[in-house]
Amino acid sequence: MKDLYFVGSVPWWLIALIAFGSLALLAQQFFSLRRRLSTGQSIFLVFLRACVYGLLLFFLFGPALVETHVTKLRRPLTVLIDDSQSMTFPAGLDRAQEGEPGPSRLDLVKEKLAEGQEPLIQRLSRDYDLQVYRFGTSLEPIAPHSVPQLTAQDQGTRLLELLQVAAKEAGSQSGILVFSDGIANGDSQKLAAGSTFPVPVFTVGVGDTEGFTDVRVTDVRAPEFAFRGREFKLDLTVQASGMKDKTVPLYFNRGRGLVTSRTVRIDADDFTQKMTLSFTPTEIGPHSFSLSIPTQAGEQITQNNSKNFKVEVQRDKIRVLTLSGSPAWNYRFLRMAMKQDPLIELVSFVFLRTPTDSVDVPDSQLSLIPFPIDDIFLEELKNFDVVFFDDFSHRAYFNPVYLDNVKDFVREGGGLAMLGGVRSFDSGGYADSALREVLPVEIDGKGSYHAHGSIPPELTASGKAHPITRLLPDPRANEEAWTKVPPLTSFNQVRAGRGQALLRAGGDGPSKGSPLLTVGRFGKGRTLALMTDDIWRWNFIAVGNRQSPQNHLKLIRQSIRWLAQEPSFEQVQIRPIPLARPGEKIAIKLRVLKDDFMPTHRASVQLRVFGPEGEPSLVAAKADSEEGEYTGEYTPTREGSYRVEADASLGGKPLGKDRSSFSAAFPYGEADDGRPRTELLKTIAESSRGAYFSINDWNEKTLEQIAAKLESHAPSQIVERRQTQLWSTLWTFLPILVFLCVEWWMRRKWGLL
Amino acid sequence: MNRRSFLCIFSKIVLTAGLLPGIARASHPREKGPIQFVFAQIKYRGGDWNPHPLSVTPLMEELMLRTSVEAAAARHEVNLTDRDLFNYPFLYITGRYEFEPFTEEEIETLRLFLSFGGFLLIDDGLGQQGYGFDKSIRREMQRVFPGNSFKRLPTGHAALRSYYLLRRIGGMRVVSPTLDGLTVGNSTPVVYCQNNLGGAWERDQLGKWTNTCTPGGEEQRRDAFHLGINLILYAMTENYKEDLIHVPFIRKRLTR
Repeated sequence: MKDLYFVGSVPWWLIALIAFGSLALLAQQFFSLRRRLSTGQSIFLVFLRACVYGLLLFFLFGPALVETHVTKLRRPLTVLIDDSQSMTFPAGLDRAQEGEPGPSRLDLVKEKLAEGQEPLIQRLSRDYDLQVYRFGTSLEPIAPHSVPQLTAQDQGTRLLELLQVAAKEAGSQSGILVFSDGIANGDSQKLAAGSTFPVPVFTVGVGDTEGFTDVRVTDVRAPEFAFRGREFKLDLTVQASGMKDKTVPLYFNRGRGLVTSRTVRIDADDFTQKMTLSFTPTEIGPHSFSLSIPTQAGEQITQNNSKNFKVEVQRDKIRVLTLSGSPAWNYRFLRMAMKQDPLIELVSFVFLRTPTDSVDVPDSQLSLIPFPIDDIFLEELKNFDVVFFDDFSHRAYFNPVYLDNVKDFVREGGGLAMLGGVRSFDSGGYADSALREVLPVEIDGKGSYHAHGSIPPELTASGKAHPITRLLPDPRANEEAWTKVPPLTSFNQVRAGRGQALLRAGGDGPSKGSPLLTVGRFGKGRTLALMTDDIWRWNFIAVGNRQSPQNHLKLIRQSIRWLAQEPSFEQVQIRPIPLARPGEKIAIKLRVLKDDFMPTHRASVQLRVFGPEGEPSLVAAKADSEEGEYTGEYTPTREGSYRVEADASLGGKPLGKDRSSFSAAFPYGEADDGRPRTELLKTIAESSRGAYFSINDWNEKTLEQIAAKLESHAPSQIVERRQTQLWSTLWTFLPILVFLCVEWWMRRKWGLL
Repeated sequence: MNRRSFLCIFSKIVLTAGLLPGIARASHPREKGPIQFVFAQIKYRGGDWNPHPLSVTPLMEELMLRTSVEAAAARHEVNLTDRDLFNYPFLYITGRYEFEPFTEEEIETLRLFLSFGGFLLIDDGLGQQGYGFDKSIRREMQRVFPGNSFKRLPTGHAALRSYYLLRRIGGMRVVSPTLDGLTVGNSTPVVYCQNNLGGAWERDQLGKWTNTCTPGGEEQRRDAFHLGINLILYAMTENYKEDLIHVPFIRKRLTR
């Protein structure tokens, strides 16, 4: 089709002036011809000339022919199908099945795309340049015919982020058709104000909001760490939909044991209640807890009825009990070291008076308290982590049978330190007591205590690496530091050391070479023997020598931590395990040290992982290239808290063990709240000038509505126009030439030329 | 044995049993153990550092008789510049008159000594506030701990409960019914008594009290010994008696 347009640029007044001049010229021509020709002949010639002038005037208007070609394009359409895990939830209640949950949301989408004589997906393929994607945490193209094979397994729904990606890639002519339940748990969970999409997005909501029945435990806020013996609180929220007037129990379990339960009265269709629970842990280590509500009748989503979490229980303080035979400077500075350490809680008893001391006042004027033997040794001992016998002999105060309890205390994991003095070791009568086999030195009743001479300590090979005697991080500086500590003036000589000697007596005296500081193990516990009551000199005399008292303070603090089996002083240490994802392999790394605290790659390492329900798995741990480092690989299969236990031995001798835990969870929380979010889908549609449809309302007209919306947004026809300017072509001047030639020929014929 | 020898021995026994009951009482029944405590007295320049040279042994005897502490019977005299000063974490300084200022080195040593666990008992032998020894020692302690002045110790202070539950401050005189102290952190490394404790403790070589305690007599002297023992035990156990386990017992006894 061609249309005539005038595109001339000559002003109209000029054209009018020329037209007027032309008329005047024609009139003059007519009157001139009339004198020589007949009227008819004159009119004919003037007519011919008028045609020429008319054509020239016509060309002054700039006539052009515009040719229009219309091309209809095949419009692109992007179809996005949500296959995140929330799409496994029922799309609604199946009324035909008396309120039982119906097909899953994804199944409903697949059903809708495949129903009818000509399935929807085929129609879309026919009418559009179709691109089909599945999406969850990522966007992946799929073939249209593979839609039925989709499974809802993706761990999250980055709905808004991926829509933006798809919209950018789609092109301005395109539209996007999204099948989703609207759950968005990516970085963006709400459409930001003013956000738009470059192409229309047609959202198809899957899942009934009316009649949706669910109760869920959500927003659990528990501390990552708690302290033994101290109550910790956790906050949680119970939400329910469509369960008004129901009452549900909430169970708070530690492992499989019930901690407490609550009754939740649901008094609204859209119910939310925040709650706070508390627990006082009594054991250190990782604890797995769960909060759960039993599955309710008609509930569509059961995965969100429980929440698991882990709390690492630590000791708030190391509880130390010291028994000192008498006031002494060793006690004074031992106490000072412990009191300055915020990690240590000290309970001390100093025997200010012996049974043979006489007092000149009634007991009521003394501050002395009776030594609570039964309370200490029968009741409270288990509540301490470390016990110090500081120049203390049981003989004058209680029956040796109480020492059996101390032996049991160590066997069960407690720490025992015996410091020297006239009341210690052999001099204290311990050769005949239950502690004889507990202590890391051999005592036979023949040892002695002497308080004279000058005894410098000497660091042994084991002492160079052991954490107790590591005063400085640098090994050489540490050795040098030990050469500078003031010499001792007292010593408990025993038969021999039985454990591991960290310090030996130096100097030239009779004690030379004897163990000065020895450590050992008994049962699950640890023991330490210091064969002097004089180490206060390493503090105060050092100060007098203008040196730091830190060596003494460090020795005391490190001894206590080692005795209390602080994790950082363990020979087997499981490295912190980061949050894992179900199905992804994780590396469990651990470090193994020998008794002398040197790393070893020859240890036999047992690594066990216990799943959320306590199911054990044995994991092979292999030595890494770095000495002392081991790695085991494990793949958690599902969400929950996992417990890890590692123990190592060398040559059949246990080196120690460690416990840890980790959590496996999907980062998106697909199952947290399965309510369909139709509001979000509507907002997306509105902001993109698309439309929202419920999948239940999808019918034949829906496609037409989508097509109309797309057409209004960007027509699918391409109109091509070609312009031909008539005055600038040779052929348009041909009539003028014809008129002029006819006029010339007639004039000649009629004898005017 | 002739009659003269018998009378000589008999007279000594009578003297010992009758005239020197204190010595008899003070004989220590316990098996002798290693020395745990040495009473070290500071010598200084000027004034009179040693107004009661025989005061320490009676206190040490009393200490060993009443408590489990094994102490050296004799005092140890130290200068603040002595290399072995830090072997003796308990220091005693007394006097009557003004004395020469300590050197800067002595001040620094004393500051280190008291800041890192040492204890100093100051005993004013004159008992005149603002004069003599009192004037000098306050000046010197101000140099040791600038900005930290003596404050009265509260009645519940651990030094007053470390062994005896003291309600009175003894001494040769009762210039002040309370003790003063310099507190550093959670402890009181310096305690100042203006009642002349040394005068109350002192006994001559025949065992006779050198000075009369006024106005309280022997009860006041006994309070002075109790205070001496308490301060030594406080130095060796710090605020042990403030531990929670002791509090209910002590409170119960004090309310009787």
